[in-house]
Amino acid sequence: MSHKQVVMAGTDTRDLTKLAEYEAVGGYASLAKARTLGPEQITNELMASELRGRGGAFFPTGRKWSFVPSPEQNPNPHYLVINADESEPGSFKDNEIISRVPHRFIEGCLITAHAVLAKHVYVYIRGEYLGPYEILVAALEELKQRPDLRGDVTIVVHRGAGAYICGEETALLDSLEGKRGQPRTKPPFPAIAGLYASPTVVNNVETIATVPAIVEMGGAEYAKLGVPNSRGTRLISVSGHVERGGNYEVEPGISLKDLIFAPELGGGVPGGRAVKAVIPGGSSTVILTGDELDVGYDFDSLLAKNTAMGSAGVIVLDERVCMVQLGIRVSEFYEHESCGKCTPCREGTRWMTQILRKLEAGEATERELDLLLSVCDRINGKCLCPLGDTAAMAIASYVAKFRDEFVAHLDGGACPCGDHSPLDGVLAPVAQHIHDHASELVPA
Amino acid sequence: MTDHVTLTIDERTVTVPKGTGLVETAQAAGIEIPVFCYEPRLGPPVGACRMCLVEIEGMPKLQAGCTLTAQEGMVVRTARTSPLASEGQNSTLEFILVNHPLDCPVCDKGGECPLQDLTFRYGPGNTRMTFDKRTQEKPIPLSPTIALDRERCILCYRCTRFSESVSEDNDLVPLNRGANTVIGTFEDQPYRSRFSGNVVELCPVGALTSTQYRFEARPWDIQESPSVCGLCPVGCNISATTREGKVKRIQSRNHPQIDEGWLCDKGRFTYGHLTAADRIKTPLLKGEAGFEPLEWDDALDQAETLLRAGGDTVVTAFSGTESTEQAYALGRLLRAGLGANGAVLPEEIPTALDAYRAPLSSIRDATTIVILTRDLVADRAPIVDLWVKAARRNGATILTEIPEEKLEDAVLISDNAAHAAWLAQDIDAKSAFYLPRTPNGRGVADAWSAAGDGEASNEEPRVVIVSGDDAAADPAVRALAAGADFVIGIGLFQESFEGLADLVLPATSYLERDGTTVNLEGRVQRQRRAVIAPCPDELAWISKLAERFEVEVSPHASLAFEEISGRIYGGVSFAEIGEQAPLPPAAEKGAPVPAPKPVQVPVADGLRVIRYRPLFSGPVVDRVPEVEFQKADHEVGMNPADARERGVIDGDMVTVNSRGNFHRFKARIVRDLPAGTVRLSTYAEGDLTEFVAVRK
Ligand SMILES: Cc1cc2nc3c(=O)[nH]c(=O)nc-3n(C[C@H](O)[C@H](O)[C@H](O)COP(=O)(O)O)c2cc1C
Ligand code: SF4
Ligand code: SF4
Ligand code: SF4
Ligand code: FES
Repeated sequence: MSHKQVVMAGTDTRDLTKLAEYEAVGGYASLAKARTLGPEQITNELMASELRGRGGAFFPTGRKWSFVPSPEQNPNPHYLVINADESEPGSFKDNEIISRVPHRFIEGCLITAHAVLAKHVYVYIRGEYLGPYEILVAALEELKQRPDLRGDVTIVVHRGAGAYICGEETALLDSLEGKRGQPRTKPPFPAIAGLYASPTVVNNVETIATVPAIVEMGGAEYAKLGVPNSRGTRLISVSGHVERGGNYEVEPGISLKDLIFAPELGGGVPGGRAVKAVIPGGSSTVILTGDELDVGYDFDSLLAKNTAMGSAGVIVLDERVCMVQLGIRVSEFYEHESCGKCTPCREGTRWMTQILRKLEAGEATERELDLLLSVCDRINGKCLCPLGDTAAMAIASYVAKFRDEFVAHLDGGACPCGDHSPLDGVLAPVAQHIHDHASELVPA
Repeated sequence: MTDHVTLTIDERTVTVPKGTGLVETAQAAGIEIPVFCYEPRLGPPVGACRMCLVEIEGMPKLQAGCTLTAQEGMVVRTARTSPLASEGQNSTLEFILVNHPLDCPVCDKGGECPLQDLTFRYGPGNTRMTFDKRTQEKPIPLSPTIALDRERCILCYRCTRFSESVSEDNDLVPLNRGANTVIGTFEDQPYRSRFSGNVVELCPVGALTSTQYRFEARPWDIQESPSVCGLCPVGCNISATTREGKVKRIQSRNHPQIDEGWLCDKGRFTYGHLTAADRIKTPLLKGEAGFEPLEWDDALDQAETLLRAGGDTVVTAFSGTESTEQAYALGRLLRAGLGANGAVLPEEIPTALDAYRAPLSSIRDATTIVILTRDLVADRAPIVDLWVKAARRNGATILTEIPEEKLEDAVLISDNAAHAAWLAQDIDAKSAFYLPRTPNGRGVADAWSAAGDGEASNEEPRVVIVSGDDAAADPAVRALAAGADFVIGIGLFQESFEGLADLVLPATSYLERDGTTVNLEGRVQRQRRAVIAPCPDELAWISKLAERFEVEVSPHASLAFEEISGRIYGGVSFAEIGEQAPLPPAAEKGAPVPAPKPVQVPVADGLRVIRYRPLFSGPVVDRVPEVEFQKADHEVGMNPADARERGVIDGDMVTVNSRGNFHRFKARIVRDLPAGTVRLSTYAEGDLTEFVAVRK
């Protein structure tokens, strides 16, 4: 089965990191077309395309752009900020986009800048993404020689310093301003008061890399792809216990089962082992059991299962995985990455981890299992930003869907999976997050 | 009513002006939305602590009430009527408490702790935490005046927000992340800010405590006296906490027009001067081997003799630290009793400035502020610096030079009274503030003029009265005193008068007296006696002494004030001043003020020396070891451009050449210092010429 490619189109045959190659496949034609259109027309095309943000919150992109006040309403400069912080465990699509189609991404930036009246574009890229960073910088160097393309737009690439929370758009803006990366309260939304309190559009890399195609084919045409509420294509990161881990561009609506098992996609589970569970949209989403794979990979279908596409990181877990260990690993991640601004997340994620470790050690009682659920419940819906809320929802879903396994750990009970729960290929434990390494790479 | 909105909170209907915060709206309806991090004085709400969770109809999730404003038709439910909100607030408290040490029995905040109170009202009665609590080294000295207990910290970020967006020193910051977040300073440097003490009051728990107040008292064994700080011309409203007749701490008593609830560290942390080792408690007479104590009757006899010897040549040198009543009483004694009209007044303030009178808080709303000596503001009148910073955050333009083009609605702040009166008129300022050098120089000048009239004698003074420790430290006053036959001192500290005075009479501190002072706005405020002085009140003995010269001086501050007020303050009474003094309206603009003679700045090579009095200096500060670290080093302040020209960077040692005399100082770059000048504290040694050369 072949899949329609929009974002990654052309990469199978050519090295699109080169400007000349990209232009050879029609690159930057959309930019030229966009410049003949008024900003409003482009925004209207985006609305017609029904494109929704690929960063996780799934907000309609055209609508977001339309919130930006006119210069008469707000004389401050407008900014376009690209979220390339991609730090959600299970997601690595933006990495590939920047690495393989940097010019398509840049073209998207320039079109969007035109549409939202921005002269300054900031790309906030995850600090550990040194490779993609260098490719992007090289592509921007090429662009420097081409004032016809660049126009009067400045694109600045800013490297993050290793904080997941800096992917949350307002924390990202604070970090970009040189402050401690912590989410702001909303409203005001960035479109009204974002970077330096000025109108700012924040979009994900993939969202922006989709823009040239929409301008090229027209919004209505793009909206024919996918299924209602989930139009176009998505680049999905498939990882964990699959034969063929990697990014696959598909139209939403494809079944999760196909994503995992189709030979040209995930290619099935090694050793023919059974799928125990799947995290469908990055570690922040509610888990699905092996019995729930007959679900369309799109917004509505996953919502019906109480979960989401999130940042499209599909993590496949086979039958050997211990759900308590998974819980610890995920909970440790959120404890480690909680920015510490709001009470429930800061204190709650730590407490969750403590209880999970006690469970894993076989030292907990049933009361503590209930306590864990109560702690999750008390975090959820009370945090300042979604980090804490989603962490609690994810962990609670492990207990809810695999309660028997948790119970088996209680009161001196041993882990049914023994010491062999093979998580290492799945999610890196927090202790392996190499911040020192990242800091070495930042020139002093 | 389009400028109002009507909404429902817990089934009560309430109407408030548009834009009112939900916390305040609830308050107006008599309903509490509990908060920790919310503090409007620190800027926009941050929504960090999640204590204020409320349910809003139509919103699926609980909302942080502190981040919302009242909207028309909004239906709000707090913990009183919403089980969801109640559960939310209970959750927040449970999370705050999981790692909280609950060492209330040894915590200074105990008994006046919002965390205790809110836990009692909204929190869980039990703990479900079964793990060891997170522990931290404690207390950590943030500075000699402030201790930090990281275990008790609930990370509301009030202190760091104060540091970032009120005092703008940015010294106090959150470190690390998540549950490991702690408050601290860069590389554990002491938290050195003119305003650091405010974080102790802002902290809703016992995480930031005053080292001076630590373990000194409990809320149920203290008393609060509403008074006014007497250490600079701002006149911040304070509450003096006393226990068993001793001052234990000074806190703010928010006067929204003057201080907005902030104090500087000098006002907050120097009450220790009351119990200084060299505090004068009895009259002292110069003897063979220094001062000897004297009985009061003998002291008054001595004083009478000296004054009679001085006759109308007596000159009184004031400090500007006296209450208006004290200055008036002295004035009556000398002017009416002896015809001695000579005085050295610390300030002369042209009445023309009264036409530009406005509350300090109006600075915050200014669009343009003209301050020719921006660098002086924080040392002379610290709180004014905060108002100027607030204005700048609001987008005001701060000018340190008078521009060519016409200004509109400018606010003028100046350290030169005569020049200010003219400049205010010249730029058609909306309001003007003169920064006096002394706390009550204005009131003293008023009192002296109210006490009598008549010209000062032309003769050399045979007797000089040195009133106050600041006057005793003033070289000009000392020079005057040196020429007199006798010197009578009135002051707090013996050392100030050593080698200067023949007779010294004890003075009371501003925390020990009743009376009034006039601040830099021209606002008459009341000080109240918080503790009993170790000596009789000045008014008592001045009144006795005045009797000997057949002058009637009331020993009661209220009566003395009535007399003064009748003469110059339009007859307002103590009662009318009240605890939060009103500002008299601006006066009508009078006759045009002539331009002052242009100051001839001699053309000379080198940099002009500005001598300034650092905030942390003077007789009171010198007696409080805890604030020693705040004292300005003996540094030479340089403008960045001048420094760059000479290759000097902050912290370099430089040589200051004053006509062939060389002095070495550490250089400090002072951004606000006018180009072509260098700045040295009045205490920095070296008798410098007006112009100096500076090189590395
Ligand atoms: C904890 C957290 C982490 C996030 N990380 C990312 C990220 O790495 N990349 C991203 O594009 N969006 C991330 N988001 C979503 C952004 O806040 C924001 O919604 C997004 O960048 C908007 O772009 P879009 O509309 O194009 O999706 C994160 C959100 C949260 C709450
Ligand atoms: S939920 Fe967590 S990450 Fe988000 S603001 Fe609160 S503490 Fe920070
Ligand atoms: S020290 Fe006090 S004021 Fe500062 S964050 Fe902690 S609790 Fe808040
Ligand atoms: S600013 Fe002045 S009046 Fe206010 S506390 Fe400080 S010294 Fe006292
Ligand atoms: S008081 Fe509202 S979040 Fe802290």
